[in-house]
Amino acid sequence: MKFIKNDHLTPELPDFFQELAGKRGLGNDVDNDVKFGITDVSRRQFFKISGIAGGGLVLGLAMGSSPKAKAQSAANLSTISPYVQIQPNGRINLFSKNPECGQGIKTGLPLIIAEELDCAWEDVDVVQADIDATKYGAQFAGGSLSTPMNWMAMRQAGATARAMILAAAAQQLNIPLAELSTSDTMVMHATSGRSWGYGEFAELAATMPVPDPATLTLKTRDQFKLLGRRFTGVDNHDIVTGKPLFGADTRMDGMLYASYTKCPQIGGKAVSFNEDHIKSMPGVVDAFIIDQFGNPKMFNPGGGDIFSGVAVVASSTWAAIKAKRELEVEWDLTDAEVSSWSDLVARAYALQGQDGEPLMVNQFAGPGNPPNRVSADKGDATRVLANAATKLSSFYEYPYVSHAQLEPETCTAKVENGNVEIWAPAQIPQSGESGSAVLLGIPAEEAAERVVLHQTRIGGGFGRKLANDYVFEVVAIANRMQGTPIKLQWTREDDMSGDYFRPGGFHSYSAGLDASGNLIAWQDHFITSTGNDQAPMTSADINPNVFPMDVTDNVKLTQTMFHNAIPTGPMRAPSSNAFAFSFQSFMHELAVASGKSHVQFMLDTLGDPRLAIAENPQSMHTGRAASVISEVARISGYEQGSSEPGRAKGLSFYFCHSGYVAQVADVSVSANKEVKVHKVWAVADFGFIHNLSGAENQMEGGIIDGISQLFNAKITFENGVIQQQNFHQYPLLRMPQAPELEVAFLQPDEFSPTGGGEPSMPPVLAAVTNAIYNATGERIRKMPLYELGYKLV
Amino acid sequence: MATLNINGQTMDIGEIDPSTPLLWVLRDELGLVGTKYGCGIAQCGACTVHLNGAPVRSCQIPVGNLTDQQITTIEGLAAADGTLTPVQEAWIEIDVPQCGYCQAGQIMSATALLRNNPNPSDADIDAAMSGNICRCATYTRIRQAIHNAAEKMNGTAFYDAARTGETA
Repeated sequence: MKFIKNDHLTPELPDFFQELAGKRGLGNDVDNDVKFGITDVSRRQFFKISGIAGGGLVLGLAMGSSPKAKAQSAANLSTISPYVQIQPNGRINLFSKNPECGQGIKTGLPLIIAEELDCAWEDVDVVQADIDATKYGAQFAGGSLSTPMNWMAMRQAGATARAMILAAAAQQLNIPLAELSTSDTMVMHATSGRSWGYGEFAELAATMPVPDPATLTLKTRDQFKLLGRRFTGVDNHDIVTGKPLFGADTRMDGMLYASYTKCPQIGGKAVSFNEDHIKSMPGVVDAFIIDQFGNPKMFNPGGGDIFSGVAVVASSTWAAIKAKRELEVEWDLTDAEVSSWSDLVARAYALQGQDGEPLMVNQFAGPGNPPNRVSADKGDATRVLANAATKLSSFYEYPYVSHAQLEPETCTAKVENGNVEIWAPAQIPQSGESGSAVLLGIPAEEAAERVVLHQTRIGGGFGRKLANDYVFEVVAIANRMQGTPIKLQWTREDDMSGDYFRPGGFHSYSAGLDASGNLIAWQDHFITSTGNDQAPMTSADINPNVFPMDVTDNVKLTQTMFHNAIPTGPMRAPSSNAFAFSFQSFMHELAVASGKSHVQFMLDTLGDPRLAIAENPQSMHTGRAASVISEVARISGYEQGSSEPGRAKGLSFYFCHSGYVAQVADVSVSANKEVKVHKVWAVADFGFIHNLSGAENQMEGGIIDGISQLFNAKITFENGVIQQQNFHQYPLLRMPQAPELEVAFLQPDEFSPTGGGEPSMPPVLAAVTNAIYNATGERIRKMPLYELGYKLV
Repeated sequence: MATLNINGQTMDIGEIDPSTPLLWVLRDELGLVGTKYGCGIAQCGACTVHLNGAPVRSCQIPVGNLTDQQITTIEGLAAADGTLTPVQEAWIEIDVPQCGYCQAGQIMSATALLRNNPNPSDADIDAAMSGNICRCATYTRIRQAIHNAAEKMNGTAFYDAARTGETA
């Protein structure tokens, strides 16, 4: 909440939680989603018109009502709904509403529509939908929410279109509706044995009344023909042939190219630059200073916030980059950051073993009731710890991390006659629209008409492109270059030093076991950063729902915040991407101390199958957690161990974004600390898996992403200046280091799909470090591992 | 007036600054945007193209040095009638891409590997592909796709070197 400027989102919050409660967790994850700052108007609209019961209403509301709809309803296409069009040749256009950043949603959502529409996948062309909240509700890629938030709405969209086609067929053929059925894009009449393509009824279907959702019959899982199988991505042919797809690929007549240079010391403001020289360089069309807008140190996707800098507009990307390299800028450092990571580390270690301030968390009393600030503590951890049979204390550290998505920030915009058109690879494009309006002073009520954003494929998101800073920068530049389309291209150096980073942090843990080796008390002093001295930076917060605090009776959770406004934001599995390392490493320390096997200690800590927090229906289900742990132990042979010296397996589990994931890593460690990760096994419960290839891809990528970060990812800053600029200083895992992977999904019948993009990553961090402990006896309490002398081979 | 030989065609690039990296000439001047910018310092491999059949980082090659050289980009792999190469087919069949931004570079490196070594071992693949970063980490699928493509090729040519002007 604290990162959203428009306070009028607040009254919506109870509704927001109510709506989400049917889809996924109320815990830390939702808090993170709220922080994404989804455009409030669209949110509100979405939750009024969509969700479990509203799919049909979305269709009814949106058909032909928006001016933007015209762009997507070319001649000869029969528009059944914002999601379904029929081409003159009978092929089906299915619109994919959300941004595609590699999570596979451009394939996944249309597949769900196609299933209930009962059409053959081969007959489908997928179209990326434009941004339009009136038609599509919330459109964003974040929080592993695209599948759970749209599962029912997409099924209803498909079923609605099918019902309209059937109704049209009955009328056109003069055959009773009850005698008609569908299969593979065909209307069938069993009595006569005749069949017709959907296209034959397209025109009439487009005029049929939208049926009441209550009248629709959705398929049961055993009737699915498409869902549950493996499908290759709908853009794969274009990707392997090099077609223009990505934000960087945008090209327009008369387009000019821009670079943008900000102060290396974050928050410095441009005062002057060597303007005459820059403007005299070949290809340079213009160069100018852009003032800071808002407070861009804080993550705020919809605020229009940008850092001050120098824009160079040129006839080619290369001319803009060459001029950038010759810029000499005078910076006003009054508001620039002065923090240093080395200083924060020293101050954090000085707090080892001490408590911080009691952590206060929001407790939502229910719809209509405002949140109360309450202590996160449970029971009496201090007393129980003092009397525990076994007490352990450990201190854990993890660094700032850059997203390093492979497509550096890029965006194209044109500003003319007070209107803005944007082509953006953005994870929250609706906030890109609303923030651009804020930046240019366009009244909010005119924003939807005057700011148009086209979604492009995103060359990697990982949360970086939840921030829209690069969108606002190009809008500001294009505003100076009225009427000319401008493509802004960040360099890799701009990207790595100008991220909204995953924040670093520290945990001072203590925990107690009873005489039987059971976990009875947990204490965590969390040391983090704040930019406003009131609340932690984005993704730098903690809550008491993290396993095992959610299942432990006596918990004391305290916090210390250092003043440090190095920009931070969500990165794949925000906070979980670091907590999983420290929590699950410390859990293994406790397991070893308990005298039980690791698996047994985990299962005993989880206890009987139940909701971890009884009053929260979306909290962790201990039975589902136990199932993935037991299954990964079984398929990996975890408990059999290894007879090879220096080789062992390690296990870890994490619950986030409503997903349950357990992973086992098989690791060798040589005498000179060279680490080979031979294989990783993963077992996940994300409910029903609708595209198996997509889910496997997310899990495979998440595991390797985690291993890459564990060994090599670290961003540092000295006096507010980021020290890493490119991949030679921030190495990513490469082919020779990639382990063998084995992925399995438990798909209990009673649970709807949840998203896999984020929960796939966190557990592997501790799976590998626990394996290194099992192989060598050395406990790892700090990431990245290269700083401890380890090398991934 | 400078020209380049790209994908078997002579292309006019006008009076261009000869220090301009090939990458930006492909993308900005010729509209061949399949070749991607990732780092600008030959660390990531997203900009990989073939120069006389060998994989190179186009962000590092000034265009002024390229007269009379044969350049192949991702756009030049499929046959004129659209038939994909075994590498491209394998990439689609096992759903390699996640975000897809690096995959043109990966495919160019894999294609060059298979030209020289029609049946590569895992170690051969490691060596040939270690210059290409996939941030989404599709490495295990890339490895499998290369093996699958090798099987499809079965010793045959897998893209039309004559059409791209390369001497095989």
